[in-house]
Amino acid sequence: MEDVQYKMMLCDGVSCIHNQSKELQSAIESELDKSGIRDAVSIHLSGCLGMCNKGPILIVNPGYTIYGGVGSEDVPEIVQSHLVEGKPVARLVIEEDHLYNRFFRIFGDVDFFGKQMRITLRNCGVIDPENIDDYLSVRGYEALAKVLCDMTPEQVVAEVKKSGLRGRGGAGFPTGLKWGFTAAQKADEKYVICNADEGDPGAFMDRSAIEGDPHTVIEGIIIGGYAVGATKGIVYIRAEYPLAIKRLEKAIEDAREHGFLGKDILGTDFSFDVEIRLGAGAFVCGEETALIHSIEGARGMPRPRPPYPSVSGLFGKPTLINNVETWANIPVIILDGGEWLSSIGTETSKGTKVFALAGKVHNTGLVEVPMGTTLREIVYDIGGGIPNGKKFKAVQTGGPSGGCLPEEYLDTQIDYESLAKAGSIMGSGGMIVIDEESCMVSLARFFIEFTQDESCGKCTPCREGTKRMLEILTRIVEGKGKAGDIEKLERLGSMIKKSSLCGLGQSAPNPVLSTIKNFREEYEEHIEQKKCRAGQCVALLSYVVNDECVGCGACKRICPTGAIEGTRKEKHLILDEKCIRCGQCYDVCKFEAINKV
Amino acid sequence: MVTPLEIIRKKRAEAVNRIVSKGYLSTIRVYVGMATCEIAAGSKEVMEVFRQAIANGLTDVYLSQKGCAGRCNLEPTVEVIEEGKIPVKYGRVTPEKAREIVERHLKKGEVITEWAI
Ligand SMILES: Cc1cc2nc3c(=O)[nH]c(=O)nc-3n(C[C@H](O)[C@H](O)[C@H](O)COP(=O)(O)O)c2cc1C
Ligand code: FES
Repeated sequence: MEDVQYKMMLCDGVSCIHNQSKELQSAIESELDKSGIRDAVSIHLSGCLGMCNKGPILIVNPGYTIYGGVGSEDVPEIVQSHLVEGKPVARLVIEEDHLYNRFFRIFGDVDFFGKQMRITLRNCGVIDPENIDDYLSVRGYEALAKVLCDMTPEQVVAEVKKSGLRGRGGAGFPTGLKWGFTAAQKADEKYVICNADEGDPGAFMDRSAIEGDPHTVIEGIIIGGYAVGATKGIVYIRAEYPLAIKRLEKAIEDAREHGFLGKDILGTDFSFDVEIRLGAGAFVCGEETALIHSIEGARGMPRPRPPYPSVSGLFGKPTLINNVETWANIPVIILDGGEWLSSIGTETSKGTKVFALAGKVHNTGLVEVPMGTTLREIVYDIGGGIPNGKKFKAVQTGGPSGGCLPEEYLDTQIDYESLAKAGSIMGSGGMIVIDEESCMVSLARFFIEFTQDESCGKCTPCREGTKRMLEILTRIVEGKGKAGDIEKLERLGSMIKKSSLCGLGQSAPNPVLSTIKNFREEYEEHIEQKKCRAGQCVALLSYVVNDECVGCGACKRICPTGAIEGTRKEKHLILDEKCIRCGQCYDVCKFEAINKV
Repeated sequence: MVTPLEIIRKKRAEAVNRIVSKGYLSTIRVYVGMATCEIAAGSKEVMEVFRQAIANGLTDVYLSQKGCAGRCNLEPTVEVIEEGKIPVKYGRVTPEKAREIVERHLKKGEVITEWAI
């Protein structure tokens, strides 16, 4: 790496591949060989860079020179002039001032980021989130100014509709339609809410977005207020996010000082202000009607819809509610155009989606990928595959409302419909990779325990049904499962889905139903053979000593319950009734003489 | 009447001037990740090392915090950016490593490749 003087990022997106980017790559490689500077240049592949109509795209760092429409015949000139003599080839350079992917300048050569496309996280990790000057310098609040200068509220709604943006909070409702509904209502007051409750266990997309770039979210909210005719915005954020709250408060204060919030914004007659409301961290308070109750000071319980918040929301007034990530798309749609955003993604899902990649992958972290990226690309290309030579088993999306997809679904594209068809959901962006050492029944039990705990208790199917499901799952993992339990889980699950009041109950059985569908044999093994193939269900596990035992006595010394017997230099024995399955003997043995069975 | 777009352009120019007057055009810019995740991984202490170094006379360095770029398992991260050079990204930076980055990279211009992402 020390000798590398140039890094090239070559677009490996579908459209650029179609425009012969693969041929371009081999032309570059052979030209580099020819001119003897192969070691001074590294080549990195990236996902779609959002400049498809000018593809194939090639970026050269340092300098961040973007070349467009490069053909193999141009390669000798680029190599000679740019890489050898240090003079970029002006006739091929394209000037782009898009908002997205700015962070590519710094991070483009890291493989983890290569397949990503950063629209909503464009400034995260690039600017100082507590300095409004930093945001202003990257065209901050220009979208707001543009809207106030040249666009009517109707035009703003139309632009959002054109973008094809859908809600990123989970349900995927078309954002433009929702804005249109709220805008169409006649009322003396309207509200705009940013849902930053982020209740999925393990999810941290919204927290990172706010901590890394709070002004983008605020700018989006102000534009939303203008579009639907609201004067007041509220960010509902969980109290467990102190740093995000602090940065948001600072950002709101700074925005006010600059005249982006408050009376007569930027010298126009549009007035709008934003305040922060703290949530206590109940999962159900992320559901929009419960969230509204919570802001009103009532208990955070959902109510049946319709009426939808866009008709009757906060204090009975028309209310526009969107997720943090949805809001963060808005400034980009205004400056780069709805049409541009709709050029990215699949037929039904446009733009990008942020995921919190966790579990058994090399590279865990926050990823933003264009819709249409496959699960395999996320797990292997971005995530770097499964560590410790273990086998991939499943990927879980959508958290407690989602499902688990096994290997045969790895080529599923990320979009709302494809994931639903495969048996999971897009959700808000939790993505957990599971390897062979995880038990699918325990995983399902974990999520049901979570939803059961978080159920608000208002409706019976969710309150009682999830409790019964949890009881059955608990007995299965404890080795007390009975014939017919699987069918009972299926019946209960489909009943809860159909009859619950809100999305929490309607989706709570998903983790169980999807694991039964895709990993039924694991359930059967637990029930019939009292066996957990992942070795995770402690009650179904026994430790036995095999013939490798040399009688060193290490296990006997470490056993906290005195469950191991044996004389020195002879094979030892584990007494099953005394064993508490802590696994210490297994870990301490140097001779692999203890088996988990 | 000045339009909102004119106002924002003026504000941007002013913002850029303020950033520049804080030394943005220094030879080297150093960014330390300071989000909840980065701080939990120890980035505050790392930031302090760079602050101290500047307080103790290190010049021509622009130091700034930044949000989380998303490389959770490599945090805390620090980027060292020099005009005309490939940006260097350090991962799993400890205060000790930070002190070495100051001595070797910032003062002597040596990229410590083993720590780079
Ligand atoms: C149980 C439950 C929890 C939810 N939690 C969240 C959440 O944490 N954040 C969020 O944005 N939406 C959450 N939603 C979805 C919201 O009800 C709502 O659809 C969303 O905020 C709308 O914004 P969007 O169209 O931008 O996605 C939740 C829904 C349910 C049923
Ligand atoms: S595929 Fe290369 S820019 Fe879109």
